[in-house]
Amino acid sequence: VRAVVIGPGRIGLGFAGELLDRAGAKLTVVGRGEVVDNLRRTGRYRVRLVDQGGEREREIPVRRALYAADVKAVAAEIARARLVAVAVRPENLGAIAPLIAAGLEARTRKKPLNVIAFENSVDAGPNLRAAVAERLPSGFPLERHGFSGAIVSRAVSGVLGEPEDREPLTFLGDPYERFEVHKPSLRKPLPEIPGLVRVKDFEAAFNRKLYVFSAGHVTVAYLGFLKGYRYVHAAVRDPEVRTAALEAMREGQQGLAARYGEALAGGEPELQAILWRFENAGLNDPVARVGRDPRRKLKRGERLAGAAGLCEAAGVPVAGLPLAAAAAVCFDGASHPADGSAKQPSAPPSALREICAAQAGSGFSDSVTAAWERFSSSWTRDAPLVRLSRPKT
Amino acid sequence: MRIGMLMARHPRSKVSPIMPEVVELLTGWGAEVEILCPEDELTPLSDVRVEHDVYVLKSGSELALSLAGALHAAGATIVNPYPVAAACRDKVIATRVLQSAGVPTPETYLAAQAGELAPLLDYGPLVVKPYRGTNGVGVHLVWDPDQLDDVAHGGVIFAQRYHKPEGRDRKIYVIGGQVFGVKRVWPARTYEEKLGEPFTITPELREIVLACGRAFGIELYGLDIIMSEGNPYVVDISSFPGFKGVPEASLRLADYLYAAAERAVRGEPAVPVGAAPEVAA
Repeated sequence: VRAVVIGPGRIGLGFAGELLDRAGAKLTVVGRGEVVDNLRRTGRYRVRLVDQGGEREREIPVRRALYAADVKAVAAEIARARLVAVAVRPENLGAIAPLIAAGLEARTRKKPLNVIAFENSVDAGPNLRAAVAERLPSGFPLERHGFSGAIVSRAVSGVLGEPEDREPLTFLGDPYERFEVHKPSLRKPLPEIPGLVRVKDFEAAFNRKLYVFSAGHVTVAYLGFLKGYRYVHAAVRDPEVRTAALEAMREGQQGLAARYGEALAGGEPELQAILWRFENAGLNDPVARVGRDPRRKLKRGERLAGAAGLCEAAGVPVAGLPLAAAAAVCFDGASHPADGSAKQPSAPPSALREICAAQAGSGFSDSVTAAWERFSSSWTRDAPLVRLSRPKT
Repeated sequence: MRIGMLMARHPRSKVSPIMPEVVELLTGWGAEVEILCPEDELTPLSDVRVEHDVYVLKSGSELALSLAGALHAAGATIVNPYPVAAACRDKVIATRVLQSAGVPTPETYLAAQAGELAPLLDYGPLVVKPYRGTNGVGVHLVWDPDQLDDVAHGGVIFAQRYHKPEGRDRKIYVIGGQVFGVKRVWPARTYEEKLGEPFTITPELREIVLACGRAFGIELYGLDIIMSEGNPYVVDISSFPGFKGVPEASLRLADYLYAAAERAVRGEPAVPVGAAPEVAA
């Protein structure tokens, strides 16, 4: 089986490429810059998977590494491939669509091509399909080929080594291999890939990850940041941060249960398993990395506001989610307290105004404002003993 | 990552769990932590070499400080850096560094003979301390010239103007830019007394506290503060205090030290560049 990975980043190589290699696929990697140079030079890369139980490392051979600018060569590889894995960030899907379109046009095989966009985005599959369709002649039988997004469970926290070195790069992640794809959007035969789970309701699966795991992750990051922690694995051990993260995730589950049913939402064992993952020091995940781009993460429908929206629709009161959102407002534009230059955020910060504008009239907006005011009045980053005061529900 | 902890063996009588918990956390996070107790063993000086990515100088003993100095000379990365720890250990140097940074300290005098302090007593009492002392040992409050005869000094007389403190002892601890204030009775005898209770750090006091760290280029330290007639005076600095009374102290310390070790592994200074001293220590 031949497979093409477009996007030689952490998810492309540290997750998709590793699973495809385990499925027996021969990998062609497509990308830009020094990482491709390294792959061409070394012909391989490594994936180191670590958790509290230990670590294991695998070396992944790369059959060919191609520059994305070499459209002809890339199209030839896609024409012969059974599967294309894409991990370029959702905003870049349009840019790689011509490569896939060219590959499909050059294709002579009867078997369909399945394209999986490992973007953790609910509409990556349809968007990529639409972008490819735009570049194909009318009447091209695109429906014969599959396009789906993928919800990735693995955290790939970093890359060890320098691309310009002679040694292969090492991608550092946790051992989770589950990824969910939209079954109706893919075409048979789909190669058997470790971790692959076919779901019919992709949006529900996506929201489950976003409103539970991701909501908990940023709660740990934002509150951990406020309390001066540098790493997620340390912050999650702080009793207040842990309690708040659990509360936010429980609220996410309650919202999901109301919308999609309790079976999908999961229960307490899933939450404990997630906390265990956050405790994984092997990932060396800084709170600053997990919390970055707080304005995007505060948007309507995103991990905090989206979960709160489900709760509000179901009449479920929220306390942990607005607390995390208020902490994200403090994080926004702030430097780490450790650098000694952190200042108490000026009131009212624009991020808070944006939330309020986007969520006008909602209970969530009011709760976030109340939590932020509580931080601002009874808590400062400079405070002697930071005790997060928690809202009474 | 390999971390060498220069610390005294935890005696049974010592009940603070903080440093054992720090070691346990760091080990659980994958660091190789070796406890180095120079008081417990014969150390051939010629064998002293850098075998860890970072050393943590927790012990307050003279032997540990000297060993840290030898490691520093051999190129070791130490938290806190040896020159800073050595400066903090010497109240003459530490106080002058703080004064130069604009930190409020009591009027401070040096003398070779205690009798030279006598004229100063006309303006009020003095606190005479061993210039390398800790834990309040050997501290004398001197009101009259007659009392100066009792002051043992070992060649250096270190005296500060006495300011009557308001209320209990105030300890301030800093871990990576986070400031914690703890009030406790003096002398604190039991572990519970040493845990004290929190007090609020005003913005003005916080600025003074952080100025002390900037003066030495460190982010991990403790201060003794006297509040007198509404004014704060910094009377001592420690480069690695006990952090008793700081919530989640062991977790915060482990988090800080883990980051320091990571920086050391990457070949960066263990203390971030942003903490560079305003005054050379």
